[in-house]
Amino acid sequence: MTIKATTKLLPDGYEALEPYVAKWAKDSSAERMTERATSSMEDIQAFYDAILPLADEAMNLIDNYPIDDMPEDIACLCKLVLALPQVAMAVELHGQPRLPNTPYPHGIELLRGTPPFG
Amino acid sequence: MNAKSPPLDLNKRGTLTEDAGLSTAPIPLEPYRSASFYEQERDRVFKRAWLLMARVEELPEAGSYVVKDVPPCKVSVLITRNKNDKIQAFYNTCSHRGSKLTSENQGKKGRFVCPYHQWTYSNEGDLIGIPDQANFFDVDKKKCGLTPIATDTWEGWVFINLQPEPEVTLERFLGPMKDYMANFKYPGASNPVVFTAKLDANWKVVSDAFIETYHIPCIHPQTIGTTFSSKLNPHARLLDARTLGPHQAVSMFGNADYTLDPKNKAEMLGHSGGEAGSVIAAANKEKAAEFIAHPAVNPTSSNYWSMDVNLIFPHIHIDCGPGGFWTHYFWPLSPNTSFYEGRFYMEPAETIRGRFLQEMYISRVADVILEDLVNVARTQEGIDTGGKQFMQLQDSEFGIRHSTTQIIKWVESDTVEEALS
Repeated sequence: MTIKATTKLLPDGYEALEPYVAKWAKDSSAERMTERATSSMEDIQAFYDAILPLADEAMNLIDNYPIDDMPEDIACLCKLVLALPQVAMAVELHGQPRLPNTPYPHGIELLRGTPPFG
Repeated sequence: MNAKSPPLDLNKRGTLTEDAGLSTAPIPLEPYRSASFYEQERDRVFKRAWLLMARVEELPEAGSYVVKDVPPCKVSVLITRNKNDKIQAFYNTCSHRGSKLTSENQGKKGRFVCPYHQWTYSNEGDLIGIPDQANFFDVDKKKCGLTPIATDTWEGWVFINLQPEPEVTLERFLGPMKDYMANFKYPGASNPVVFTAKLDANWKVVSDAFIETYHIPCIHPQTIGTTFSSKLNPHARLLDARTLGPHQAVSMFGNADYTLDPKNKAEMLGHSGGEAGSVIAAANKEKAAEFIAHPAVNPTSSNYWSMDVNLIFPHIHIDCGPGGFWTHYFWPLSPNTSFYEGRFYMEPAETIRGRFLQEMYISRVADVILEDLVNVARTQEGIDTGGKQFMQLQDSEFGIRHSTTQIIKWVESDTVEEALS
């Protein structure tokens, strides 16, 4: 994939998500899985609350670009949107970062994801 | 699946177990913990059966190779596709002093150079270069190629057999499974999402956990429980199960009433507006439709179908669901540990919403595997106490009964033909 350089971290209208980029805009599913598993519920909830109301519009915006050739700011937004499923497991299903009554680290490895940003 | 689905009456049929001619007796637990059984299983099952190792899509072009392990037999297998598109497996072992030849897991190469002393082989296994050959004593290059392993393919699946001269062909080994699963159009076969895990349980404990639905409402209530059971079928009884030689096909109930829970807001977003769907699907709808039209996918054409487990003896599940297929590999490591590899195949997403649904699916699969990982370790701990000699199996545990019975039969049979009879 070629990612065109842009001056802004995120597209216009998504500035509110900038504080979450460093922690949640990951390149792969495996990294997102690890980030959720090792974050506090406060951090997970804050990101979930910030991204959820913007995710639908964000996906409409991202779909204006080729999925394998996004500008840098759109790619960054895309990575944030792809972190929502992981944090949603914590918020909507478990009410805690990890699956209850399971060990961590658990030895499950995600060796290969699916493009983009798998 | 919708509200118009006809009523389900699983009581109208006889038991799957008895209809298939299987015994209803308890099944021994010794094969799940005994060191001597483990050795026999290694020698008489894994060293004699055809073993499914890969899909052909992992070897997409001439020169492609993959390296796969057969952990119970301590064999590293180099599988190549040569310029004539022949797929052939070799021991990943140099002819010079027996060193492991390549440490990479996959790639594209015409030749393989042993890092130890640079002996060089073609991807057809021929020895083509020995540094300072003049200092050896009549070494015959023609006799020093890589040692081939019997290799064959079926429906895009690559099999090997560790017997120097396999007692039976792959076709004979597959038996009725060969035609039952013929002509599958596997969607997304080039794009698997791959999970691995080392588990504290005998490999059969793990395989067993993935072939029965009786446990799902108990172990997976949050993640997939409501997909597999409902008031109509609260204990997730099976729709169908059949033996196919040592292999088998098990078809599982799905909750036709399953709808997205509005409190699961992220999942609703992925389905753009709350269109109902299974949580175990993540595929391109047209390709999935072609796939599920096959008579061996949802074999009873039930409106209450979730997925099928097709067990390829001894250790592979090829699972089919509304969204496509996925595979589980269960490799023995010791009497009470195993190595698991799950490969979940999907077409690369064309839209971000499609990609988002895949990420939901991947997140959920990871948690389901984690639930099972904890569960199988607990099962093994109980088995290892030696307090129980048998397990009591019900009709929905048909798959466990057939696979363990077959393993015992292979261990007790002096020839493969006898095991298959």
